[in-house]
Amino acid sequence: MSWLLNLYETYNSNDKCVGVIEKKYNDREYTLLPIAHTTQNAQIEVEITEQGDFHSARVLDKTEFSTLIPCTEKSASRAGSVVAPYPLHDKLSYVAGDFVAYGGKIKKEEPFAAYIQQLEGWANSEFATPKLKSIYRYLSKRRLIQDLVVGEPVLYLDADQKLITTWDKKYEPLHGEKPRIFTAVPGEVDSVFIRFNVYSPDKALTKVWKDTELYDSFIGYYSQLLGEEDICYVTGEKLPGTDKHANKIRNSGDKAKLISANDTSGFTFRGRFTHSHEAATISYEVSQKAHNALKWLIQRQGKIMENRVFLVWGNDSPEVPCLTDNDNIFAMEFGSESSRPITLKAHTNQEFAFDLAKALSGYRNKLAIKSASKANVNILVLDSATTGRMAVLYYRNLDKKLYFDKLIDWHSKCAWLHRYQKDGQGDLLQFWGAPATKDIAFAAYGSKANDKLVKGLMERMLPCIVDGRRIPQDIVRSATHRASNPVAMDKWEWEKTLSITCALINEREGYDVALDKENTDRSYLFGRLLAIADVMERNALDKDEKRSTNAIRYMSVFSQHPERTWRTIQNALQPYQAKFGKQLNYYSSMIDEVASQIPFDEFNNEPLTGKYLLGFYSQRYKLYQKTEKKQDEGNHAGDEDHKEDSSSGM
Amino acid sequence: MRNAIEFRVYGDYALFTDPLTKLGGEKLTYSVPTYQALKGIVESIYWKPTITMVIDKVRVLNAIRMESKGIRPIEYSGGNTLANYTYLKDPCYEVQAHFIFNPHRPEMEYDRNENKHHNILKRSLLAGGRRDIFLGTRECQAYIEPCVFGEAPGFYDNYGDIHLGNMVHGINYPDETGRNQLEVRLWEPVMKDGVIEFIKPEECTKVRVIAEMQPKRFDENNVQAADELLAEWEGWGMK
Repeated sequence: MSWLLNLYETYNSNDKCVGVIEKKYNDREYTLLPIAHTTQNAQIEVEITEQGDFHSARVLDKTEFSTLIPCTEKSASRAGSVVAPYPLHDKLSYVAGDFVAYGGKIKKEEPFAAYIQQLEGWANSEFATPKLKSIYRYLSKRRLIQDLVVGEPVLYLDADQKLITTWDKKYEPLHGEKPRIFTAVPGEVDSVFIRFNVYSPDKALTKVWKDTELYDSFIGYYSQLLGEEDICYVTGEKLPGTDKHANKIRNSGDKAKLISANDTSGFTFRGRFTHSHEAATISYEVSQKAHNALKWLIQRQGKIMENRVFLVWGNDSPEVPCLTDNDNIFAMEFGSESSRPITLKAHTNQEFAFDLAKALSGYRNKLAIKSASKANVNILVLDSATTGRMAVLYYRNLDKKLYFDKLIDWHSKCAWLHRYQKDGQGDLLQFWGAPATKDIAFAAYGSKANDKLVKGLMERMLPCIVDGRRIPQDIVRSATHRASNPVAMDKWEWEKTLSITCALINEREGYDVALDKENTDRSYLFGRLLAIADVMERNALDKDEKRSTNAIRYMSVFSQHPERTWRTIQNALQPYQAKFGKQLNYYSSMIDEVASQIPFDEFNNEPLTGKYLLGFYSQRYKLYQKTEKKQDEGNHAGDEDHKEDSSSGM
Repeated sequence: MRNAIEFRVYGDYALFTDPLTKLGGEKLTYSVPTYQALKGIVESIYWKPTITMVIDKVRVLNAIRMESKGIRPIEYSGGNTLANYTYLKDPCYEVQAHFIFNPHRPEMEYDRNENKHHNILKRSLLAGGRRDIFLGTRECQAYIEPCVFGEAPGFYDNYGDIHLGNMVHGINYPDETGRNQLEVRLWEPVMKDGVIEFIKPEECTKVRVIAEMQPKRFDENNVQAADELLAEWEGWGMK
């Protein structure tokens, strides 16, 4: 099913969320917009009595700016000097009938005339509501500015009875300190945005811009005015079409459109078609709903990386009330800001994180019940190459069960033991699983990697997760190179790079973190040797000695010329070996054991494959685990334990 | 089926542009080929005004995957621009198609030798087509080879139904409908275990009239009949 149809259906199955204001973690409000509506920032709120008289007005705070307003196709995409009024709330130059009388400058036609004519049509239609009629009755009196400058004024006049557009010190004798309106409005005061509300002394009325009755009123009225019916390419039904589609998809400043058609000189559609409507048509309703659903989903759960949007959502069957089911499941893969398991639980769907964890450890039961329904999961990546247009870079629609199988598959295949994440208390968390794609990018390209590079890699990793494709070799190779060069990084960064690289290599190899003593792969064995040398030297050093060991310093060369470098490392080890008493035996026998497993003719200077990192990690992990265990049990068993350990190492 | 051929078509990429994304120029592919795209491929194998190609069914062998590329299309008003095109990656399809004699070209009746045309079609398929084969757009070069439909294993075997939503079926040209206008057909395909069985063009109920158009005239004066050519060749063989 096409992405637009899926968005359209998502809107329909979530129509309970229409107009309901939700808050993002940073307190930014967002909502699933009704069709023929948009949001605008208003700076002045005017209250009107039910009889259609002026009641009061005030300047709004930044926190209550956001207003849901009705809009027409024309007004939604108005720009420059085009006169295209919004149906109800609008800028001062549109809504004030006495704008010119107070010195307002207009370009050609009077915006108010167009505005009031449009409002009249709505107010006199069968869809009109009492509130709308009150507002219309007041505004047709053409005295808005007159009312706004008297009493407790929100707008101010200069000595010539003209509107003050920009504040100047010279007005201070007239009005005192700089009034608030001059800081609230970006630009000049005559572009202030005004919203209207109806006030009643005896009953509490819903705010006009939150009134669903009014939304429906406008939708009903406007649907009559739409253009000719044509076959909609998304649904296949005959519906009134539109050629103007939404922008502001990623954020309020985003001009890029997913569907645009102002290209009449290039050959994007021309050829067998002469006009854009010949090439394709889309109905007004579908365009509105699909775009609104997309905006809502992006606000809700999209990940934006350098303007590229990564979005995953489920369009469950209508009986499922809201699509929180797969909310932020991908947060585990994307975005380090939410990839911490602890914080993930705090603001995203606990249940799913839990389900996934459970499924990963083999308890699939709950997931199986859930996926019995015919639910689908959509994966969508959007980006724009130029400012005006936006493209769909990736789209997949797949069965939810399949999607989960793939996720579980990915998390068990491209997995390693990581310890770079911290919990709320700042303690290191140890987790087994696939690294976040963003972290993979940092492992391959360094922590200062360009955002463009990161977003490219994130997109390239999608098929690896969703289709079980091999991880591209260049990524693995690049990460291996970086992991082999520990001296270039801080310790924590190298450890992170190392475990992520191990995960990437392991996607192909399928090893376990537990040391595999039977593995006779040359690179693996060389990796083990390096780990023993590292741990041995580290143990011989004082606790507060922070410098790198010889093994770490020579790691890069070692991976290229193992035989030659091993000699150097072993020579450098001698002074430390002298420090050990009994324990020396333990380490040297281990080195002998590993070295003897490498066939004579393979003990040469051939460069090592990435597998040596796996050997290195596993061996080091084993050794450190043992020391920790030793320390724990040391108090009880003492030297006995030690002997056992060293013999088991033989 | 009579007059039928079965073949496999594959390439590195395919772009069956979704018309909605064609308007602005940020092309996104449909997830499966349209009837018209496949018809174009069959017509690249062999075509003559005498015959009309009909696509019976297509089978999607590989999983549907997308890959985007940064493209620098020519700006016809000068210079160039940037765009993101999204292609299908590793497309591979099995197609079954057959031909009928075009009933709207009575003037070509003298060329209706069914066996001869079928043999030319099969020979052309074996040779890899008479013209270049491409999947959707010209930059997506593709290759064809004969196959047995449904024989090779496919990703969507036993997968169940996938509803693909409303899609373009194809374009009606005047020489195949008898009406002097250009029309676009739409339909709602369902992919069953990877196979889409196409309905016939005249069975499509959703048809949009685009513009007036006149068919091109073909007759004895500008087309050589298959029989004539055969006779000519056999004549050569005698020499």
